[in-house]
Amino acid sequence: MSEKKYWIQVSVVMLMSAMLVAGCRTRDPADADGVSPVRGVGATDIYGQPLGERFAGDQYLEGQFEPVYYAYDSAQIDAAERAKLESVADYLRQNPQVDLIVEGHCDERGSREYNLALGERRALAARAYLIGLGIESDRLQTKSFGFERPAVDGHDESAWRYNRRAEFVISY
Amino acid sequence: MKFLLCKRRYTTVILPLIMALNMAPGEAEAQIRITKPAGEKTSIDLAGMTVSSDPASREFQRTLQNNLSRSGWFTIGRPGASEVRVMGSVQQRRGALVVECRVLAAASGRSFMSQSYDRSAEEARRLAHRVADDIVEAVTGHKGIASTRIVMVGTPTGHKELYISDADGGNIIQLTNDEAISVRPRWSPDGKQIVYTGYLQRFPDIFRIDLPTGRREVVANFPGLNTAAAISPDGRDVALILSKDGNPELYIRNLRSGRLTRLTNTPNAAEASPSWSPDGRRIVYVSDQTGRPQLYIISRDGGRPERLTSRGRVNVAPDWGPNGLITYSSFIDGTYHVCVIDPETREVRQISSGATDWDDPSWAPNGRHIVCSRRQNNRYTLYVLDTMGDPPVRLINESGDWYSPAWSPD
Repeated sequence: MSEKKYWIQVSVVMLMSAMLVAGCRTRDPADADGVSPVRGVGATDIYGQPLGERFAGDQYLEGQFEPVYYAYDSAQIDAAERAKLESVADYLRQNPQVDLIVEGHCDERGSREYNLALGERRALAARAYLIGLGIESDRLQTKSFGFERPAVDGHDESAWRYNRRAEFVISY
Repeated sequence: MKFLLCKRRYTTVILPLIMALNMAPGEAEAQIRITKPAGEKTSIDLAGMTVSSDPASREFQRTLQNNLSRSGWFTIGRPGASEVRVMGSVQQRRGALVVECRVLAAASGRSFMSQSYDRSAEEARRLAHRVADDIVEAVTGHKGIASTRIVMVGTPTGHKELYISDADGGNIIQLTNDEAISVRPRWSPDGKQIVYTGYLQRFPDIFRIDLPTGRREVVANFPGLNTAAAISPDGRDVALILSKDGNPELYIRNLRSGRLTRLTNTPNAAEASPSWSPDGRRIVYVSDQTGRPQLYIISRDGGRPERLTSRGRVNVAPDWGPNGLITYSSFIDGTYHVCVIDPETREVRQISSGATDWDDPSWAPNGRHIVCSRRQNNRYTLYVLDTMGDPPVRLINESGDWYSPAWSPD
């Protein structure tokens, strides 16, 4: 890649990042324009919320909800994925006796250890969105698998797009 | 140096630095040594060593020759045409392996070392490592690494378990049998403990395994992510990544009191992969606060982190070596490569080459070799790289994936 082209790309990326940050300022998901991805529901407060103690429950139910998918190297909840989180929130509201573990996963590219942190941020973003929808924070735990547990085997985008995800496990 | 078999050739800028930092403390009072420019080897042969035909003696001989060759300082020469000769005998006597070993300069006949060893025959490999290290140190003045070990994650059982091998890849021992994911093992500075991240209690928690007793205890199991443990050089603290306060951040935990100190505060970024400086005053780690993962250095007392890497889109997995240099993995022209950076001058050297991914580098205690994982055709294998130019050597030949290696302190 030529130097000039590189800088054009860098500028575009920086401009886009600035736009994303602007998008993050949206407080209420319902007010979002529906196009720009949001980082959960607030800008800085979302990742500042301490996690509650781990649940005492020992029964788990997997696969009850559609996974939320993420863009490459991103922990932001895409507008198109929000409806899935809203249905998770509905379920939790109707079943106040259960808790939820949000699992964050990544595709296989990049450092194993860094992806563990990225997966956690994906899970935290989904958790923050659920909190924004009124779910009590102490009913939500996060768990990152990095790229240790892919949903789909394969080594190109056709698999990776399904591996960058948050999954939801009911705990009771 | 009184004894020099030295033909001066070029050396790169950083190599003399590596060599200088490498010198054993006793270097100054060494009697006879062979010193050579970087990359130049001394020929050695074992033809003068009489070896009994029993399996233990044979294994000793095979291992010794292999370890001398892997040390990086020797080539195995033709008998009678080498610069250094190993003489003596190897035999089994009442279950013990008895080794007489004399090492001579072929030209002058002067002696580098003369030593007897006596060990249980079951420890033939371990004894060979010890003798290889003694020969390396006696002839070159450099500390050998044959007796060191490597911890890693392996998948031969179909699960991601921890294993420990000798530095030559032999004698692989399965350390965990949890049928749960294990991630990033690291040694304690005394080489007696392994810290790692395990999912055996469903969540990613940090455990410490005491090797002599096999006991395992929890180091951190806070809500959320507990990972990337690295014990400080004085053994008192552990650096780790926790998300309990709402985001993955870098912390230090005192191993005795359990007291936590938070070092980073990046609500919009993830931290990963801490590694301590040899003096224990600073920590190098990964942060994506600029959008992509890069290396940063922070004081162990906190304060403002300083960005270390400026070249390359992605720089990850740092390991601060005993030589003061940091090895890490850098995304270069579409693949990950093992690089070395001097944190003071910021001079960077690329160590690996070729169109495959080289990741997770870890320094050998000699400050010369690096063990890392290589990903080719979507399989992971471990290789030992040489910062002084020898070609990569494959460490593990067993089936399964092998990755996340860490070299023992000594």
